[in-house]
Amino acid sequence: MASLTLSKVTKRFGVFDAIKDIDLSVEKGEFVVFVGPSGCGKSTLLRMIAGLEGISGGELMIGGALMNDVAPAHRGIAMVFQSYALYPHMSVRKNMAFALETAGMPKSEVTARVGKAASILQIEALLDRKPKQLSGGQRQRVAIGRAIVRDPQIFLFDEPLSNLDAELRVQMRVEIAKLHKELGATMIYVTHDQVEAMTMADKIVVLRLGQVEQIGTPLDLYNAPVNRFVAGFIGSPKMNFLNATLLSVSGAGAEVELADQRLLIPRGLASAQSGRIELGLRPEHAMLSGGDIALGRMEVILVEHLGGNTLLYGKLADGQMLTVQVEDQARTQAGDSVEIFTQARRCHLFAENGSAFTPV
Amino acid sequence: MSDTAPDMLPGMQRSRWSGVRKHTFLCCVSLVMLYPLLWMVAASLKPSTEILNTASIIPSHVDFSSYRRGWFGLDVSFGTFFLNSLIVSVLSVIGNVMTCSLTAFAFARLHFPGRNLCFAIMLGTLMLPYHVVLIPQYILFLNLGWIDTFLPLVVPKFMATDAFFIFLMVQFFRGIPRELDEAARLDGCSAWRIYYKIMLPLSIPVLATAAIFSFIFTWDDFFAPLIYLGDPGNYTSQVALRSFIDSSNQSDWGGLFAMSSLALVPVFIFFVFFQRLLIEGIATTGMKR
Amino acid sequence: MRERMTGAASFGGATRPPRTSKLQSIREGYGFLMPWLAGLLGLTLGPALFSLYLSFTKYDLVSDPKWIGMGNYVRIFSTDPKFWIAMKVTFTYVFLSVPLKLGFALAIAMMLNKGLRGLPIYRALFYLPSLLGGSVAIAILWRQVFSSGGLFNQVLAMLGIKGMGWVSTPETALYTLVLLTVWQFGSSMIIFLAGLRQIPADMYEAASIDGASPRRQFFRITLPLLTPVIFFNAIVQTIDAFKAFNSAFIISDGTGGPVNATLFYTLYLFQEAFSFFRMGYAAALAWVLVMIIGCITAISFFMSRYWVHYDE
Ligand SMILES: Nc1ncnc2c1ncn2[C@@H]1O[C@H](COP(=O)(O)OP(=O)(O)O)[C@@H](O)[C@H]1O
Ligand SMILES: [Mg+2]
Repeated sequence: MASLTLSKVTKRFGVFDAIKDIDLSVEKGEFVVFVGPSGCGKSTLLRMIAGLEGISGGELMIGGALMNDVAPAHRGIAMVFQSYALYPHMSVRKNMAFALETAGMPKSEVTARVGKAASILQIEALLDRKPKQLSGGQRQRVAIGRAIVRDPQIFLFDEPLSNLDAELRVQMRVEIAKLHKELGATMIYVTHDQVEAMTMADKIVVLRLGQVEQIGTPLDLYNAPVNRFVAGFIGSPKMNFLNATLLSVSGAGAEVELADQRLLIPRGLASAQSGRIELGLRPEHAMLSGGDIALGRMEVILVEHLGGNTLLYGKLADGQMLTVQVEDQARTQAGDSVEIFTQARRCHLFAENGSAFTPV
Repeated sequence: MSDTAPDMLPGMQRSRWSGVRKHTFLCCVSLVMLYPLLWMVAASLKPSTEILNTASIIPSHVDFSSYRRGWFGLDVSFGTFFLNSLIVSVLSVIGNVMTCSLTAFAFARLHFPGRNLCFAIMLGTLMLPYHVVLIPQYILFLNLGWIDTFLPLVVPKFMATDAFFIFLMVQFFRGIPRELDEAARLDGCSAWRIYYKIMLPLSIPVLATAAIFSFIFTWDDFFAPLIYLGDPGNYTSQVALRSFIDSSNQSDWGGLFAMSSLALVPVFIFFVFFQRLLIEGIATTGMKR
Repeated sequence: MRERMTGAASFGGATRPPRTSKLQSIREGYGFLMPWLAGLLGLTLGPALFSLYLSFTKYDLVSDPKWIGMGNYVRIFSTDPKFWIAMKVTFTYVFLSVPLKLGFALAIAMMLNKGLRGLPIYRALFYLPSLLGGSVAIAILWRQVFSSGGLFNQVLAMLGIKGMGWVSTPETALYTLVLLTVWQFGSSMIIFLAGLRQIPADMYEAASIDGASPRRQFFRITLPLLTPVIFFNAIVQTIDAFKAFNSAFIISDGTGGPVNATLFYTLYLFQEAFSFFRMGYAAALAWVLVMIIGCITAISFFMSRYWVHYDE
C-alpha cells in the first residue's frame, strides 16, 4: 500500500495557482525528493502534505486514509523546517519532548523516546542546552530528533541543509541518508539543489510553476529527461543546448544540421517532425577524441582547471557557445581550436516546445 | 584617544571643537529642563520657611517634616491613596497584559473570517477620542452602581480596551518566526497551547513593556478617578494631590511637594530600571509618552 | 509494527482524528477575541452610538432624555460663545505646542544622532520629563514655578528682571501650558532618533563623496527620508493635544481660568457634563471634537501626499 497518494491536488492563493493538479504516489520506506527552482511550489506542496496549508482541490491520502482536513498533528507526519524552528526558550530535551508531552504520553515513555532519539543522533551531551547554545549542525540534529521521537509514518524535510556551510551540508546529507536506512521510514525531502536530489533520492519529483515536469529515479532523469527544463535542471555543469535543424528522419537515424554541418544521429525518433530543434549535450559527454559523431571545430575561449577535470568554454563555427568537460588536466589553452565529438546515445533532441524526442 | 591619533581624518579637529560646544549646549538644556524637578524634590526636603523665595536647590539642612505634614495633610492619610493607586494600577496591568495579549495573538496568528475587519476596527478605536464614550460609560457605571468603586477604572482593562497595547503586541508577535507556531501545531498544540507555551514565553520583553506602560498610565491617570471616585477614602494619589491644592492647606507647599515627589517615585523607579524597554517600546511603536 | 504516537488511535481513544475546519477556526479566533469583543461592543461601539443619540437630546441624568433634534449642535455653533473660546484656546494650544515640540525634538535628535558620546545619558535625561509629564504632580509643580512668587520669577529676579504671575495673567497662562507640553519633547525625540537610525549610512557617504555640505545633506537626505516619521509623530501629537486635559485642569483649578484663558475643549466638555450635568450637550460637544479631529487627520493625510516621502 502506498504510504502517500496525491490525486489532482491543487492549491490556489487568490487567483494564483501555486500547485496545479499534482498526482503522486509515494511507497512505504521510499526517499522522495521534490526539486525545482525557487518559487516553483515545493514548499507549498510539502506544507499541504503537512496540513499547514489547506488543499484547494484534489485528494491527499496518507496510509490509505483521506487526510485533506485532518489536523497536522494527526496525519502521522513530522516536519523538519529550513529554519529548524526549535523553540528558543526550551532546552533540547524539552524541544524533543514537547510533542509527546502535548499528547499526554507518560513521563517514562517520553524519557525513553527522547533518550533513544538522542543516541541515534549522538546529541546526548546537548540535551540540557538551549538552541541558542548550539551550532548550526547541532540545531539541525535536534530538529531531526524532534521529528524522530514522534515516530511518524512520513518525515517531511523543507530544505533542511540550506543554512549549513558546504562541508557540513555534505556530512548531514550522508547522515540523513543513513538515518533513512536505519529507520526505514518514508521521507519526503524538498531542495532546490539538484546535487542533493541526485545523491539522496530513490525518486525525484521535478516541479516547475506548480506542475510536475517529471518523476523518476535520479538516473532516469539524467539519462532520459522528458523535456528541456528537466534536462537543464538535472546535471552539473548544465547541459548545452544548441540550435539545430532537423532535416529528416529515416531508418538510418535523424539527420541534423548543426553549425553549418550535417550530422547523422543514428537513432530512430518517435513523432519527430523536421524543422528547428535543439540538440542537448551534457558537457561531460562532449569529447576531444573518440565518439561516433563529430560536431565540428570549437574555438576555445576560456579554460577552467578544476584539478580532477577541466572545463573548456568555446564557440562553434556558427558562434554558438558550448561547454566541454574533459577528464583530468587538459593542456588545451584559450585560443586553441579543437575538434568536438560525442556519442549518439548521449545526444538529446528537443522540439521547439521543449519536449524531448524519445528514441524508439 | 590621544591628541595625535594617527588615523585622524581631515576635519576631525573641527568636529572635536564642535563636539565640545555640543556637549556644553546639551548639558545646559538638560539642566534647565530638569531644574524644576530637582527644585521640587529639594523643596520637599527643606524646612518650610525656606521653600519659597529661593531658586536654590540646596537646603540649609534636610528636614523631613514636610513629608510628615503632607502624609497626614488630608482627612485620609496618603498611605490610603497610594495603596488605592497601587491596587488600581496592578489590577490594570494584569487586565491589560492578559486580554491585550489574547487579542493580539488572534490578530497576529490565527486565521478566521472577519479577522481583518476586526483588526481595522481595533485600529479605528485607537483614533477615537475617549470623550465620545465618556458619558454613556458614566451612565452605564452609574446604573450598575459602580460609581465610587474601583470597578469603572479596572473592569475596562479586562476587556482589552487599550488598543494601543494590542497594537504593540501584534507588532511584536509578528516578529516571532511563524515556523515556531507551525512546528507547535505539528507537535499537536491547540491555539491556546501555542499561545501560552510558545508565544507568551517568547514575548516577555513586550509583555514587560506593556505592563510597565500600563502601570504608569494608570498610576498617572487623573481623569477617570476624578469622575468616578467621590469618597476621599477611595481617592487615588493623583486625585488626592488635586484636592490637596483645593484644601485649606493651600499654603503648605512643602507638604504638597513632598507628596508630589512621592507620587512620581514609582514612575521614576521604572524609568531607572526599565529605561531600555521603555525607549524601545516608544521607538518601535511611536507611543506618545 | 512499532507503536506510533501519531494518528488518533494511539492516544486517548478518540475514534475520529480532529479536523481543521472553518467552523473550528472561527471558534478559535473569536474565542481569543472574546474579551476584546465584549469591550468593543459594551464599552466602545455601544456607548459611542448611545452618545450619538444623546447628542440629539436634552439629558440631565435625572429625567429621561428629551429629543431635541439638532438643537444641541445649533446651539454649539450659533449661540454658545464659550464653545468658540474653547475652540480658540484649543487650536492656539495645538498649533503652537505641536510644531514647537516636534521642532525641538528633531533638533535635539539631530544633535544626538551622529555617534555622540554619552548619547544614552542625554537620551534618558531628555526623556524623563516626557515620562513624568502626565502626572498631576508635574502640573502642580508647573503651577508653582510660574506663579507670581514661583521659581521662574526667582530666577528672573536674580537676573534683575521683575516677573509676574504667569499662570494668573490671562495673556500668558496658555503659554505656560504650551511650555509644559514642549518640555515633554523626549518621546518624540526618541521616535526621531529611531527614524534617523533607519537612514542608511552609505547614503551619507555617497553624498559626502559627491561633495554635499552637511547643510545640504540635511535638507536633501535626512529631512526627506524622515518625513514619514515626522508625519506620524505630528498626527499622534496633534490628536493627543486636542485631548489635553490634566494640566489645564490643575493649573486653573478646573475653571479654565483666568478668564477662560485655559479653557481647553475637553475641560469645557467636562464642565458641561459633570458640573452642569448637561449630558446631551456634552455628548454633542464630544461628537464635534471627533469631527474636528477627523477632519484634521483627513486633511493631514491628504496634504501628506505633497510632502511626505514614501519608498515604493
Ligand atoms: N501564502 C501565500 N500567499 C500567496 N502566494 C504564496 C503564498 N505562499 C507561497 N506563495 C507563492 O507560491 C509560489 C510557491 O512558493 P513556494 O512553495 O514557497 O516555493 P518554493 O518552491 O521556493 O518552496 C511562489 O510563487 C509564492 O510566491
Ligand atoms: Mg521553499
